[in-house]
Amino acid sequence: MSVSAPTGRDGAGVGLAVTVALALVAGANLVFAVARGAPAWVFDAFLLAASVLLVVYVVGAYLPQRRSRQAQEAAQRETELLGEALLTALESIRRGNLTHLADATAPMPAELRSAFEAAVTSLTSLVQQIQNSSTETAAASDVVHTTAADLASGSAEQAAAVVEITATMEQLARTAAQIARNAATQAELAAKAEESGTAGADAVTEALAGVEAVQQRIADVASRADDVGSRAKEIYRILDLITEIAHETHILSLNAAIEASTGGEAGKRFTVVAEEVRRLAQRSRESVESVRSLLDDFAASIRAAVVATEEAGKEAVRVLERSRRAAAAIAELRGALSDTARAAREISLATEEQRTASDQVVLTLREVSEVIHKMADSLKSFRGAAEKVDTLALSIQLLTQSFRLDSPRSLKNLVERWAAELSAHTGHWEAVEGWLAAAVREAPSVELAYLTDRNGTMLAFALGGDAKGDAQVPANVTVGANFSDRPWFQSTMRDGCAILTPLYQSMLTGEPCFTVAAPVRDRTGAIAAVLGLDVNLRSWTKI
Amino acid sequence: MNREREGGAHGGRYLVVATGEHLCAMAVEQVRSVVPALTVVPCPATDPNLLGLAEYGGEPLPVLDLAALVGAPAGAVAEFPVTVVVRTRGEGGSVGLAADAAVGVVEVPPHLTATGSGLVQARGTWQGTVLHVLELAALGGERRQ
Repeated sequence: MSVSAPTGRDGAGVGLAVTVALALVAGANLVFAVARGAPAWVFDAFLLAASVLLVVYVVGAYLPQRRSRQAQEAAQRETELLGEALLTALESIRRGNLTHLADATAPMPAELRSAFEAAVTSLTSLVQQIQNSSTETAAASDVVHTTAADLASGSAEQAAAVVEITATMEQLARTAAQIARNAATQAELAAKAEESGTAGADAVTEALAGVEAVQQRIADVASRADDVGSRAKEIYRILDLITEIAHETHILSLNAAIEASTGGEAGKRFTVVAEEVRRLAQRSRESVESVRSLLDDFAASIRAAVVATEEAGKEAVRVLERSRRAAAAIAELRGALSDTARAAREISLATEEQRTASDQVVLTLREVSEVIHKMADSLKSFRGAAEKVDTLALSIQLLTQSFRLDSPRSLKNLVERWAAELSAHTGHWEAVEGWLAAAVREAPSVELAYLTDRNGTMLAFALGGDAKGDAQVPANVTVGANFSDRPWFQSTMRDGCAILTPLYQSMLTGEPCFTVAAPVRDRTGAIAAVLGLDVNLRSWTKI
Repeated sequence: MNREREGGAHGGRYLVVATGEHLCAMAVEQVRSVVPALTVVPCPATDPNLLGLAEYGGEPLPVLDLAALVGAPAGAVAEFPVTVVVRTRGEGGSVGLAADAAVGVVEVPPHLTATGSGLVQARGTWQGTVLHVLELAALGGERRQ
């Protein structure tokens, strides 16, 4: 039989089993030997050997094994106590409580407690850094979001302006093209007008020559009319002479008739002659009158012709003067038309260049517009990314708020501190409302602070600074109303520590908010009430 | 009518002259000649009908205003005025009668109205104009008166 060293409970068991097996084998051999008639001393020797072995076993194996087991059990109890302390501390940490861990870590060995507290301190520092970083990230993402929104708005306005400018430039290009066409047409018209002006100048020159010839003819006619007038005067003088002769003939015939009247038969024949002479004189006078009348008409016509000729001469002079002025004007007009044609050609070329430039500008503006649209799309994506970053930062903020830190930004620390202070009011809650009103003034991000008893019945509530003004307290938030079905109440009652709800829309302000709640304990440590704080997310992230 | 017949005794032919707006007819036997209006030199006289004296055949010839004698209204300015040299009652006596024009020697129409003695023996209308038939013999008597 061999005894193994008491290295443990399993080793002791094996030794005991080996010993019992050896005893059983030895007993069996002894019974077989007795049965085959072995001597009695064999039996005695066997008993002696067995007794020695038993003593050896007890002294060498059992007693040390028993001492070791007691020490092991003591160590195991210590380990269990340490584990429980560690579990309590870790559970506290799991619940986010990184403060007031002294009680939990007291059972730990000094070295372990020191390491644990160092780890908690590091974790607290990490959470605070994450909080700060997430706050800065949220602020930065908010700035980025705002900037991206401004840029998107600006790019949209810029795109609209570019579209307007493009349309204007297209219109300008069309107008330039139209101007170019008009200028080309004007140049052609001016060239034609210049040709017409040349022809007109030639015509005016010919007209001038014609007018000068007419003027000369009129002068000739006037001269002829003067001659005719002189001749007419001669005719009048002759007619006067004829008239006078006819009158004298008449008188002569009368005298002849008078003489014939006293001349008897011969006188009668002479009377006939005298009468014929008188009639001749009479016809002469009548003919002279007729000629005079005709001559009067002729002279009047001549005078009218002379007057008309003089007027025509004057008019010819005026026409000549006007024609000369017209010739000068046509010459100036030709010059102006030539200048106009040249200017129109230059305008046509310039506007053609302008149209080409405008087309290029339009193409460039379209490219700019595309770039702006792409930039706007990118900004939209950028804005979405900024929103995501913002949301992520807020989520991190909320996540870090699941830890209770000894920090002003730790809402769990705040609510539990307030809950601890409210513990003094246990049993007489009538003064709580004033206390809540005074407390929320110190926390601008708290929209609503409320206290329920352990059954969820509202005891008191107070509106926060940001929620006052136009905010209306929801109708269901009244003293006496029951909130036991609310997640924040149930979580607080279940976990017995401060809790944080996910984001939801505030019924008070319509903005995103979340609730942080903590149990209010009485002197015995039992939960007497639940304190809830509705925190406005936007206001809180600005702090 | 007796006067007309008496006129007819003169041969029935009269010298008709225009004076003013009227006509005057005088027997051709009493007329010496008709000449273009003589140049009259006015002379002092009591007879308002005497225009003056003219030279005729080398002798002075008194010229009377015929229109004034018969009371004819003034007409247009005569173009070819004449002086009718007539015989008076005296031997070889002549008087000039200033008239506007000599119309002709014609037969005087019968429908005249006798006006009695004096220079104007009868008066009527001839070719639409007032016609005075003169008795030139009365000029001598009148002159004598």
